[in-house]
Amino acid sequence: MSHIHLPDGVLPVWLWVSGLIITILLGAILFRFSKKEELTRRLPLLGMMAAAMVIGASVEIVPIAYHINLTVISGILLGPSLIFLATFVVNMILALFGHGGITVIGLNTITLSVEGVFGYFLFRFFWRVSKRLSLAIFLATFLALFASTLSMIGVVGLGTSHYEELIHQDGKGILEFKLSKEKGEDHKGASEKGEVNLRRFISIILPLGFIGWLLEGVITALMARYIHRLRPDLLRLEGKTS
Amino acid sequence: MIQLSYLDYIAVEGKSFFHRLSPGLKIFGVVLILFGIVTLRNLSGLILLYAILLFLFSISRIPFRIFSLTFYPLIFAILFIFISGFQIHFILLVFLKALCGSTGIVLLLATTPYPMIFGVLGKFLPSLLVTSFFLTYRSIFILLNVLEETQHALYFRGGLQWRHPWRSLINISNVFGHLIIKGIDASEKMYESMVLRGFKNKIHYRGE
Repeated sequence: MSHIHLPDGVLPVWLWVSGLIITILLGAILFRFSKKEELTRRLPLLGMMAAAMVIGASVEIVPIAYHINLTVISGILLGPSLIFLATFVVNMILALFGHGGITVIGLNTITLSVEGVFGYFLFRFFWRVSKRLSLAIFLATFLALFASTLSMIGVVGLGTSHYEELIHQDGKGILEFKLSKEKGEDHKGASEKGEVNLRRFISIILPLGFIGWLLEGVITALMARYIHRLRPDLLRLEGKTS
Repeated sequence: MIQLSYLDYIAVEGKSFFHRLSPGLKIFGVVLILFGIVTLRNLSGLILLYAILLFLFSISRIPFRIFSLTFYPLIFAILFIFISGFQIHFILLVFLKALCGSTGIVLLLATTPYPMIFGVLGKFLPSLLVTSFFLTYRSIFILLNVLEETQHALYFRGGLQWRHPWRSLINISNVFGHLIIKGIDASEKMYESMVLRGFKNKIHYRGE
């Protein structure tokens, strides 16, 4: 839910090109400042976590079209820099399944990275404050998903003028589709009808997202509890859990 | 996701004209389709593009059950139409763009094995990224096997039932927790065997 499941050609070119450029720049900076040996050693782990995220994205909760992302738990296990590369790989593979367009890979990487990086730092913060694993993971996941949904809405909102342009393309093709237009309709009426309604989009996304954040928060907290029971070293926690 | 192995099988075993085309040419074709999707703004142009893709799909001898994959993006395109205030032209435009993109991609995936696609991408992208693609692709199959084995255990623990939401949540969380632990164990073994075979930052694919 928190990344953009838009097909290609809906977002304006400047927006998705900017997304790609920012992703490439961020990737280059992270690559430049990371230790090559460490990066190479952790590549199989990155591949495994990316694969888990791809599998998680294929488990659909049907009534609300939500799927779990596993980005926060991956962020906690991989760390803030590797999660960026992992989200790029995940978005590339998901796009090859038609799960989001190819052109929006850059924007999706940024949005999902926000989730992973925020999740990592929020978890560290809540853990330090509360020392309660389930609570810290739940709050970190919930807030990270909220943040990435807001960034997704922001990205979609940036394309408003482009959607209006697309809506007003009505009937300019070879085959004219005039299903929603009357001949005598004045221009003002038509433009009102064709207005982009971002509020309606937000009013649908946020309540659906809220259910999703709760679900993923609970699932991630339970998963972390399970991982902590069997392999506590993976979470790299300091101090005791309660 | 389970369809991935079937898609891979079709891509490797298929014998159509499309299967024999070079992967580079097919990827160039997908780029052209994407260019069409991004630039076309009228329904007639998109309908024409979709018709061409349907024709190509029909002559590529891909099993019909794979065609259902092309409808997957529509689930999410539905959410986006609320922006337009239910303008029929905009809805058709978004749906056709989604269908053209997914049909082009499925056509590529069902006729080209993944390693060949990554091999072509390796000419343009950094080796680290392409290695990540290879490892992720390999890991998906490893995790799918683990998932299949775990499904039996999940079934004995009550599986997923709407009547018992909390138990279902615990079960699904334990499955994914188990998947991650097994995945991390497998990744450590994978790295050891890669180093043993002389891995140095890059996986070389000979395209056979």
